[in-house]
Amino acid sequence: MTMDQVAVPSEHDVVEAGHDAPATGMGVSNTKLAMWLFLSSDCLFFGAFISAYLFYRGRPQPGPHPADVYNIPFTSVTSFILLMSSLTMVLALAAILRGDYRRLRVWLLATALFGATFIGGQVFEFTEFYRQGFTLSKNLSGSTFFVLTGLHGAHVTAGIIWLLSLWGLATQGRLTSRDSERVEIAGLYWHFVDVVWIVIFTVVYLIPK
Amino acid sequence: MADESTTAGTATETDTDPVEAPADEQPGTALAPTEGTAPALAETPLPMLPGEVQPHPTPVKYVMIAAILVAVTAAEIGLYYLQGDVPDGLIIVFLLTFAVIKFALVASWYMHLKTDRPIFRRFFVLGVVAAISLYLIVLTMLHVFSG
Repeated sequence: MTMDQVAVPSEHDVVEAGHDAPATGMGVSNTKLAMWLFLSSDCLFFGAFISAYLFYRGRPQPGPHPADVYNIPFTSVTSFILLMSSLTMVLALAAILRGDYRRLRVWLLATALFGATFIGGQVFEFTEFYRQGFTLSKNLSGSTFFVLTGLHGAHVTAGIIWLLSLWGLATQGRLTSRDSERVEIAGLYWHFVDVVWIVIFTVVYLIPK
Repeated sequence: MADESTTAGTATETDTDPVEAPADEQPGTALAPTEGTAPALAETPLPMLPGEVQPHPTPVKYVMIAAILVAVTAAEIGLYYLQGDVPDGLIIVFLLTFAVIKFALVASWYMHLKTDRPIFRRFFVLGVVAAISLYLIVLTMLHVFSG
Protein backbone atom coordinates (compact mmCIF):
# COMPACT_ATOMS: atom_id res chain seq x y z
CA MET A 1 0.00 0.00 0.00
CA THR A 2 1.48 3.34 -1.00
CA MET A 3 1.14 6.48 1.06
CA ASP A 4 -1.15 7.92 -1.60
CA GLN A 5 -3.55 5.04 -1.11
CA VAL A 6 -3.77 5.56 2.63
CA ALA A 7 -6.86 7.49 3.53
CA VAL A 8 -6.26 10.33 5.93
CA PRO A 9 -7.56 9.26 9.36
CA SER A 10 -10.41 11.15 10.88
CA GLU A 11 -9.88 13.51 13.77
CA HIS A 12 -10.61 10.60 16.11
CA ASP A 13 -7.38 9.00 14.91
CA VAL A 14 -5.27 11.95 15.97
CA VAL A 15 -3.44 11.18 19.18
CA GLU A 16 -4.03 13.89 21.72
CA ALA A 17 -0.33 14.17 22.35
CA GLY A 18 1.43 17.32 23.34
CA HIS A 19 -1.79 19.29 23.40
CA ASP A 20 -0.71 20.81 26.68
CA ALA A 21 2.09 22.53 24.82
CA PRO A 22 1.01 25.78 23.17
CA ALA A 23 1.01 25.66 19.37
CA THR A 24 2.78 28.31 17.38
CA GLY A 25 0.92 30.74 15.15
CA MET A 26 1.72 28.34 12.32
CA GLY A 27 -0.32 25.57 13.91
CA VAL A 28 2.64 23.40 14.84
CA SER A 29 3.98 22.66 18.30
CA ASN A 30 6.73 24.89 19.69
CA THR A 31 8.91 22.01 20.82
CA LYS A 32 8.85 20.26 17.46
CA LEU A 33 9.59 23.47 15.60
CA ALA A 34 12.43 24.23 18.02
CA MET A 35 13.91 20.77 17.48
CA TRP A 36 13.83 21.17 13.70
CA LEU A 37 15.49 24.58 13.98
CA PHE A 38 18.15 23.09 16.25
CA LEU A 39 18.78 20.24 13.79
CA SER A 40 18.97 22.73 10.94
CA SER A 41 21.62 24.73 12.80
CA ASP A 42 23.45 21.53 13.77
CA CYS A 43 23.97 20.86 10.04
CA LEU A 44 26.19 23.95 9.94
CA PHE A 45 27.92 22.85 13.15
CA PHE A 46 28.90 19.43 11.79
CA GLY A 47 29.59 20.89 8.35
CA ALA A 48 32.31 23.05 9.87
CA PHE A 49 34.12 20.10 11.42
CA ILE A 50 33.75 17.89 8.34
CA SER A 51 35.20 20.73 6.24
CA ALA A 52 38.10 21.16 8.65
CA TYR A 53 38.87 17.46 8.37
CA LEU A 54 38.73 17.58 4.57
CA PHE A 55 40.98 20.64 4.51
CA TYR A 56 43.77 18.95 6.47
CA ARG A 57 43.39 15.39 5.23
CA GLY A 58 45.59 15.56 2.16
CA ARG A 59 48.18 17.97 3.56
CA PRO A 60 51.77 16.84 4.07
CA GLN A 61 52.22 16.08 7.78
CA PRO A 62 53.89 13.50 9.99
CA GLY A 63 52.22 10.10 10.00
CA PRO A 64 50.45 7.95 10.67
CA HIS A 65 47.60 9.23 8.53
CA PRO A 66 43.92 8.35 9.02
CA ALA A 67 43.85 5.92 6.09
CA ASP A 68 46.78 4.00 7.65
CA VAL A 69 44.85 3.12 10.80
CA TYR A 70 41.21 2.77 9.73
CA ASN A 71 39.60 -0.59 10.34
CA ILE A 72 36.79 -0.44 7.78
CA PRO A 73 35.18 -3.82 8.58
CA PHE A 74 34.89 -2.87 12.26
CA THR A 75 33.56 0.64 11.56
CA SER A 76 31.11 -0.84 9.05
CA VAL A 77 29.63 -3.04 11.76
CA THR A 78 29.23 -0.13 14.20
CA SER A 79 27.71 1.98 11.41
CA PHE A 80 25.26 -0.82 10.68
CA ILE A 81 24.32 -0.95 14.39
CA LEU A 82 23.65 2.81 14.47
CA LEU A 83 21.57 2.50 11.30
CA MET A 84 19.48 -0.24 12.88
CA SER A 85 18.95 1.89 15.97
CA SER A 86 16.98 4.27 13.75
CA LEU A 87 14.64 1.40 12.89
CA THR A 88 14.07 0.53 16.56
CA MET A 89 13.47 4.23 17.28
CA VAL A 90 10.64 4.52 14.74
CA LEU A 91 9.22 1.25 15.99
CA ALA A 92 9.15 2.78 19.50
CA LEU A 93 7.20 5.75 18.13
CA ALA A 94 4.81 3.42 16.30
CA ALA A 95 4.32 1.49 19.54
CA ILE A 96 3.41 4.54 21.64
CA LEU A 97 1.08 5.81 18.91
CA ARG A 98 -0.74 2.48 19.13
CA GLY A 99 -0.70 2.55 22.93
CA ASP A 100 1.47 -0.56 23.02
CA TYR A 101 3.57 0.30 26.07
CA ARG A 102 5.32 -3.04 26.37
CA ARG A 103 6.80 -2.71 22.88
CA LEU A 104 7.53 0.96 23.53
CA ARG A 105 9.77 -0.01 26.45
CA VAL A 106 11.44 -2.78 24.44
CA TRP A 107 12.21 -0.57 21.42
CA LEU A 108 13.38 2.41 23.49
CA LEU A 109 15.77 0.18 25.42
CA ALA A 110 16.94 -1.52 22.23
CA THR A 111 17.68 1.86 20.65
CA ALA A 112 19.67 2.99 23.70
CA LEU A 113 21.60 -0.30 23.73
CA PHE A 114 22.40 -0.03 20.01
CA GLY A 115 23.63 3.50 20.67
CA ALA A 116 25.74 2.32 23.61
CA THR A 117 27.22 -0.41 21.43
CA PHE A 118 28.15 2.19 18.83
CA ILE A 119 29.84 4.32 21.49
CA GLY A 120 31.65 1.26 22.85
CA GLY A 121 32.92 0.59 19.34
CA GLN A 122 34.07 4.18 19.02
CA VAL A 123 35.99 3.98 22.31
CA PHE A 124 37.64 0.75 21.15
CA GLU A 125 38.50 2.36 17.80
CA PHE A 126 40.00 5.45 19.44
CA THR A 127 42.07 3.26 21.75
CA GLU A 128 43.41 1.26 18.81
CA PHE A 129 44.29 4.44 16.95
CA TYR A 130 46.20 5.75 19.96
CA ARG A 131 48.13 2.49 20.19
CA GLN A 132 49.12 2.89 16.54
CA GLY A 133 50.32 6.45 17.13
CA PHE A 134 47.39 8.27 15.55
CA THR A 135 46.50 10.69 18.33
CA LEU A 136 44.71 13.97 18.86
CA SER A 137 47.99 15.89 18.85
CA LYS A 138 49.96 13.84 16.33
CA ASN A 139 48.99 15.92 13.34
CA LEU A 140 46.17 18.16 12.10
CA SER A 141 44.41 15.20 10.48
CA GLY A 142 44.32 13.55 13.89
CA SER A 143 43.07 16.70 15.60
CA THR A 144 40.22 17.22 13.14
CA PHE A 145 39.34 13.52 13.02
CA PHE A 146 39.08 13.10 16.78
CA VAL A 147 37.21 16.37 17.28
CA LEU A 148 34.70 15.54 14.53
CA THR A 149 34.02 11.92 15.53
CA GLY A 150 34.25 12.79 19.23
CA LEU A 151 31.60 15.49 18.88
CA HIS A 152 29.38 13.05 17.05
CA GLY A 153 29.97 10.53 19.84
CA ALA A 154 28.98 13.21 22.37
CA HIS A 155 25.74 13.73 20.46
CA VAL A 156 25.06 9.99 20.50
CA THR A 157 25.80 9.86 24.24
CA ALA A 158 23.34 12.68 24.89
CA GLY A 159 20.79 10.78 22.83
CA ILE A 160 21.35 7.61 24.87
CA ILE A 161 20.75 9.54 28.12
CA TRP A 162 17.58 11.03 26.61
CA LEU A 163 16.34 7.60 25.49
CA LEU A 164 17.07 6.02 28.87
CA SER A 165 15.15 8.86 30.54
CA LEU A 166 12.15 8.13 28.32
CA TRP A 167 12.53 4.41 28.99
CA GLY A 168 12.56 5.13 32.74
CA LEU A 169 9.37 7.18 32.42
CA ALA A 170 7.76 4.46 30.32
CA THR A 171 8.74 1.85 32.91
CA GLN A 172 7.02 3.90 35.62
CA GLY A 173 3.92 4.32 33.45
CA ARG A 174 4.53 8.06 33.05
CA LEU A 175 4.84 7.96 29.27
CA THR A 176 1.51 7.40 27.57
CA SER A 177 0.02 8.00 24.15
CA ARG A 178 -0.61 11.59 25.20
CA ASP A 179 3.20 11.97 25.32
CA SER A 180 3.81 10.60 21.82
CA GLU A 181 5.30 13.86 20.68
CA ARG A 182 8.05 13.57 23.31
CA VAL A 183 9.09 10.26 21.79
CA GLU A 184 8.88 11.72 18.29
CA ILE A 185 11.12 14.66 19.20
CA ALA A 186 13.69 12.36 20.81
CA GLY A 187 13.44 10.29 17.63
CA LEU A 188 14.12 13.32 15.44
CA TYR A 189 17.33 13.97 17.37
CA TRP A 190 18.32 10.32 17.19
CA HIS A 191 17.73 10.05 13.45
CA PHE A 192 19.71 13.23 12.97
CA VAL A 193 22.81 11.77 14.64
CA ASP A 194 22.28 8.78 12.36
CA VAL A 195 22.20 10.87 9.17
CA VAL A 196 25.27 12.80 10.34
CA TRP A 197 27.07 9.48 10.77
CA ILE A 198 25.97 8.45 7.26
CA VAL A 199 27.84 11.50 5.96
CA ILE A 200 30.87 11.04 8.26
CA PHE A 201 31.20 7.35 7.41
CA THR A 202 31.19 8.09 3.70
CA VAL A 203 33.28 11.26 3.62
CA VAL A 204 35.78 10.47 6.38
CA TYR A 205 36.16 6.70 6.19
CA LEU A 206 35.21 5.43 2.73
CA ILE A 207 36.14 8.11 0.21
CA PRO A 208 39.73 7.63 -0.97
CA LYS A 209 42.01 10.59 -0.29
CA MET B 1 -9.97 3.27 8.99
CA ALA B 2 -11.14 5.08 12.03
CA ASP B 3 -12.48 2.11 13.86
CA GLU B 4 -11.89 1.59 17.53
CA SER B 5 -8.93 -0.70 17.04
CA THR B 6 -6.80 2.14 15.68
CA THR B 7 -7.73 4.94 18.02
CA ALA B 8 -4.74 4.51 20.26
CA GLY B 9 -4.69 7.94 21.76
CA THR B 10 -8.31 8.14 22.78
CA ALA B 11 -8.52 4.63 24.09
CA THR B 12 -5.46 4.81 26.30
CA GLU B 13 -6.60 7.94 28.04
CA THR B 14 -8.72 5.71 30.20
CA ASP B 15 -5.73 3.62 31.24
CA THR B 16 -4.87 4.52 34.79
CA ASP B 17 -1.67 2.49 34.91
CA PRO B 18 -0.30 1.54 31.52
CA VAL B 19 2.57 -0.41 33.02
CA GLU B 20 0.44 -2.75 35.02
CA ALA B 21 -2.26 -2.89 32.42
CA PRO B 22 -0.63 -2.36 29.02
CA ALA B 23 -2.95 -1.83 26.14
CA ASP B 24 -1.98 -5.01 24.39
CA GLU B 25 -3.17 -7.00 27.36
CA GLN B 26 -6.59 -5.41 27.45
CA PRO B 27 -9.04 -7.23 25.28
CA GLY B 28 -11.36 -4.26 25.25
CA THR B 29 -8.91 -1.85 23.67
CA ALA B 30 -7.00 -4.26 21.38
CA LEU B 31 -4.59 -1.50 20.41
CA ALA B 32 -1.48 -3.56 19.98
CA PRO B 33 -0.87 -6.57 17.82
CA THR B 34 -1.49 -9.86 19.52
CA GLU B 35 -0.29 -13.22 18.23
CA GLY B 36 -3.19 -13.61 15.85
CA THR B 37 -3.66 -10.04 14.70
CA ALA B 38 -0.06 -8.88 14.36
CA PRO B 39 0.16 -8.86 10.54
CA ALA B 40 -3.09 -6.95 10.10
CA LEU B 41 -2.29 -4.30 12.71
CA ALA B 42 1.28 -3.95 11.48
CA GLU B 43 -0.12 -2.72 8.17
CA THR B 44 -2.79 -0.50 9.73
CA PRO B 45 -2.02 3.23 9.38
CA LEU B 46 -0.86 4.74 12.65
CA PRO B 47 -2.77 7.53 14.41
CA MET B 48 -1.44 11.01 13.70
CA LEU B 49 0.05 13.55 16.06
CA PRO B 50 -1.46 17.06 16.21
CA GLY B 51 -0.46 19.15 13.20
CA GLU B 52 0.47 16.22 10.97
CA VAL B 53 -1.10 16.09 7.53
CA GLN B 54 -0.66 12.39 6.74
CA PRO B 55 -0.41 9.24 8.86
CA HIS B 56 3.04 7.84 9.62
CA PRO B 57 4.25 4.88 7.60
CA THR B 58 3.38 1.45 8.98
CA PRO B 59 6.00 -0.66 10.82
CA VAL B 60 6.16 -2.90 7.76
CA LYS B 61 7.22 0.07 5.67
CA TYR B 62 9.81 1.03 8.32
CA VAL B 63 11.34 -2.44 8.06
CA MET B 64 11.37 -2.21 4.26
CA ILE B 65 13.23 1.11 4.47
CA ALA B 66 15.73 -0.48 6.88
CA ALA B 67 16.32 -3.32 4.39
CA ILE B 68 17.06 -0.77 1.64
CA LEU B 69 19.43 1.09 3.99
CA VAL B 70 21.29 -2.13 4.76
CA ALA B 71 21.57 -2.99 1.05
CA VAL B 72 22.90 0.47 0.18
CA THR B 73 25.40 0.34 3.06
CA ALA B 74 26.60 -3.07 1.86
CA ALA B 75 27.05 -1.61 -1.64
CA GLU B 76 29.06 1.28 -0.17
CA ILE B 77 31.41 -1.04 1.67
CA GLY B 78 31.76 -3.25 -1.40
CA LEU B 79 32.67 -0.18 -3.42
CA TYR B 80 35.37 0.74 -0.89
CA TYR B 81 37.16 -2.53 -1.61
CA LEU B 82 37.14 -1.80 -5.35
CA GLN B 83 39.66 1.01 -4.84
CA GLY B 84 42.52 0.47 -7.24
CA ASP B 85 40.41 -1.50 -9.70
CA VAL B 86 37.96 1.33 -10.40
CA PRO B 87 38.90 5.01 -10.96
CA ASP B 88 38.75 6.97 -7.70
CA GLY B 89 36.52 9.61 -9.29
CA LEU B 90 33.88 7.00 -10.10
CA ILE B 91 34.05 5.55 -6.59
CA ILE B 92 33.60 8.99 -5.05
CA VAL B 93 30.57 9.74 -7.24
CA PHE B 94 28.91 6.44 -6.32
CA LEU B 95 29.74 6.75 -2.60
CA LEU B 96 28.30 10.27 -2.44
CA THR B 97 25.20 9.13 -4.33
CA PHE B 98 24.67 6.26 -1.90
CA ALA B 99 25.13 8.62 1.07
CA VAL B 100 22.54 11.02 -0.37
CA ILE B 101 20.09 8.13 -0.88
CA LYS B 102 20.53 6.96 2.73
CA PHE B 103 20.28 10.50 4.08
CA ALA B 104 17.08 11.13 2.10
CA LEU B 105 15.49 7.83 3.14
CA VAL B 106 16.09 8.43 6.86
CA ALA B 107 15.02 12.08 6.71
CA SER B 108 11.93 11.43 4.59
CA TRP B 109 10.57 8.28 6.24
CA TYR B 110 12.08 7.95 9.72
CA MET B 111 12.03 11.69 10.48
CA HIS B 112 8.61 11.90 8.78
CA LEU B 113 9.48 14.85 6.56
CA LYS B 114 7.45 13.13 3.85
CA THR B 115 4.28 13.09 5.93
CA ASP B 116 4.70 16.08 8.25
CA ARG B 117 4.02 19.78 7.74
CA PRO B 118 6.06 21.24 4.84
CA ILE B 119 7.45 23.94 7.13
CA PHE B 120 9.67 21.39 8.91
CA ARG B 121 11.04 20.18 5.57
CA ARG B 122 11.76 23.76 4.53
CA PHE B 123 13.67 24.52 7.74
CA PHE B 124 15.74 21.35 7.53
CA VAL B 125 16.48 21.66 3.82
CA LEU B 126 17.50 25.26 4.44
CA GLY B 127 20.06 24.13 7.03
CA VAL B 128 21.41 21.32 4.85
CA VAL B 129 21.66 23.45 1.71
CA ALA B 130 23.22 26.36 3.65
CA ALA B 131 25.83 24.05 5.19
CA ILE B 132 26.72 22.34 1.90
CA SER B 133 26.88 25.63 -0.04
CA LEU B 134 28.87 27.50 2.59
CA TYR B 135 31.50 24.83 3.12
CA LEU B 136 31.81 23.93 -0.56
CA ILE B 137 32.57 27.59 -1.29
CA VAL B 138 35.09 27.77 1.55
CA LEU B 139 36.84 24.52 0.58
CA THR B 140 36.93 25.54 -3.07
CA MET B 141 38.48 28.87 -2.15
CA LEU B 142 41.08 26.98 -0.12
CA HIS B 143 41.87 24.81 -3.17
CA VAL B 144 40.95 21.58 -1.39
CA PHE B 145 39.49 20.05 -4.56
CA SER B 146 42.14 21.28 -6.99
CA GLY B 147 44.92 18.93 -5.93
